[in-house]
Amino acid sequence: MCKKNKVGIQFFLQSINDVFCFFFDLGKRAKKTRIFYLISFLPVMMALLIKFLQPFYSNRNIEDPYIFSNMIMVFYLQFLILILSLFFGTSVCSEEIEGKTLIYLITRPISKASIIIGKYGAYMVLVILMTVIGVFLSFMILNINNLLDFSIYKVLLRDVSVLILGIICYSAFFTFIGTFIKRSILFGLIFSFGWENVIQYFPGSTQRFTIAHYLKSLLPSASSTRFSFLLFRLEPTSPRVAVLILIILTAIFLAIACLLFTVKDYILED
Amino acid sequence: MTSVIETHKLCKWYGDVLGLNDVSLKIESGITGLLGPNGAGKSTLLKLITGQLKPNIGTIMVAGEKVRNNYSLFSKIGFCPEQDSFYEEMTGLQFISGLLRLNHYPFPEAQIRAKKALEIVELVDEEDRVLRSYSRGMRQRLKFAQAVAHDPEIIILDEPLNGIDPLAKRKLIRLIKDYRDKGKTIIVSSHVLPEIEAMTRRVILIHQGKIFAQGDIHYIRDLIDSHPHIISVKCSDPRGLAEKLIKEECILKINFGSSKGSLLIETNNRDRFFGVIPFLVVENDMEVYEITSPDDNLQAVFDYLIGK
Repeated sequence: MCKKNKVGIQFFLQSINDVFCFFFDLGKRAKKTRIFYLISFLPVMMALLIKFLQPFYSNRNIEDPYIFSNMIMVFYLQFLILILSLFFGTSVCSEEIEGKTLIYLITRPISKASIIIGKYGAYMVLVILMTVIGVFLSFMILNINNLLDFSIYKVLLRDVSVLILGIICYSAFFTFIGTFIKRSILFGLIFSFGWENVIQYFPGSTQRFTIAHYLKSLLPSASSTRFSFLLFRLEPTSPRVAVLILIILTAIFLAIACLLFTVKDYILED
Repeated sequence: MTSVIETHKLCKWYGDVLGLNDVSLKIESGITGLLGPNGAGKSTLLKLITGQLKPNIGTIMVAGEKVRNNYSLFSKIGFCPEQDSFYEEMTGLQFISGLLRLNHYPFPEAQIRAKKALEIVELVDEEDRVLRSYSRGMRQRLKFAQAVAHDPEIIILDEPLNGIDPLAKRKLIRLIKDYRDKGKTIIVSSHVLPEIEAMTRRVILIHQGKIFAQGDIHYIRDLIDSHPHIISVKCSDPRGLAEKLIKEECILKINFGSSKGSLLIETNNRDRFFGVIPFLVVENDMEVYEITSPDDNLQAVFDYLIGK
C-alpha cells in the first residue's frame, strides 16, 4: 500500500514537472509575456528618469533613495504584482477554455490537479522573473551611489521576498477564480483595485480580509519613513503569522482550484 | 469479439438541452463510423467516451476500465478534436513533442516520436513553422498526428476530414485504414456519408442525441435507398430527356424545374438512374450541364428515415 502511494506521488510529481516544462516553454514565447515584460520594466524607466532628474531637484529634498524606493514599492505591491498575477493566474484555466486547447491536456495520462499546479507553477515563475528583474534593476539604479553599502542588499532581499510571497498568493487566488467563473478578469480587476486597494485601509480587523494586509505586515513598521504611504492605518499582524497565513491561503486556493477543475465539466463553445 | 468501448444507457444534457439520450453501444476493434448531421450528438458521445464530460446518467467502459478521471487509461487513447484550436505560438514539432512530454516520454524520445508522427502526415518539412501560419488542411493533419504520436490502442477522430483537400483526404483515409490493419480500435465521426463509406462498413447512425441505427453500412444504404431521391439535371433538351426517362422503371416522377432547362427527377433507385442516364444522353445527342442531388445530404436522409 505504502509503495503504491509512493509510486502515485512520484507519478503526480512527474506530471507536474511535465506540465510545468510545457507551459514554461510556451509562456516564454507568448506575446502576452513580452507585453508584460515591457510593463514590468516601467519602474526601471521611472528609476532612470528620477536618477537623471535628481541633480535638478536636489534642493527640494527628493534625493532620498528611500522615497524613490517607496514609490517603486507602491507601484510593485499595489499595482504590478496584482496585474501580473491576475492575467497569468486567471489564464491558467480560462485560456485553455477560451482557446479550446483544454482537450489536448485532459486527454493525456496526467491528473487534472497536476495540470493546474504545473501550469500555475510555470506562470508563477515567469511572473516572479518579470518582477524580480525589474525590482533589481530599479533598486540598483536608485541606489547607484550606495552600492558598496551592503546593508541595502538586506533591504532588497526583504522587499523581493515580500513581492514573491504576494505573487505566489495572488496567483493562487486568481487561478482559483479562473477555474470557478467565466469572466474572471473582470472579477479580478474589481477584487484587485476595489477590494484589495480599499479594504486594506479600513481600521480594525476588516483589513485582515485582504492579502495586501499580510504583505504589508512584512514591511518595516510605520514609524519608519519608508513605506509610510503604504502603511497608512495598518494594524499589522506579526510577520510569522502573516507568512503562515499567506502560505495557508495559497494552499487553500490551489486545492479548491484543483478540486473544481477535476469535477467540473468545461463546455468548449463553438 | 470482445468490445473495447461499451456504453450503457448514457444520457447527457446541457441545462435544458438534451445532448445524448439513452445510448447503449458496444464498439469492437477496427473502424467504426459515427454518422449524423451537425448537432446530432456525435461530439458529445466522443467527449463522454474520452472522459472530457461526465454523463448525467449511465456508464462508459473503455478497455474494461471506467474512463472519467482515470488518467493512466489515456496512454491508450488518442483523440483528434473537431475544433481548430492550437497553441499558436508553437511550431509543429514543439506542439507534438510537447504533448508527448505530457505522455511522460523523455525529451529525446518525444522528439523522435514527434518527427515520426509528422512524417506520417507529411508535415515534416513544415515542422519548424509556427502553427498560426499553417493552412487548414495542415492543421487537420497535425491534429491527427498528435492523436497517433504515442501509438495508442484506441484512436478517436472527431470530423478528421473537415477542411482537407480531396488528395489529402484520400491519404488520411488510407492512413486510418493502416491503423485498423495494425489492430487498433478507431472511431471516426462525420456528417458526410461517402467519407465514412470509404473507411468502414460498420456504422452508427446518430440523430437528435439518439442512436438511430447501428450495423453494416449496406443496411443503412438499403434504408436510404428504400426512400425516393430527388436529382436535378440541367440539359439542352429537358422535354426530350424527360420523355426518355419516364419509360424507366426506377423513375417515380419528373417535374420541370423553375430555371430554364432543368428537370427534377424522383427515383427510388439512384444507382440504376446513374447507370441509365449516360446512355440516354449519348444515344439522343443531348448536352448535360449539371447533375446535382439537392437532398443528398445526411440531414435530408435522416429526415426521410424518421419520416419528417
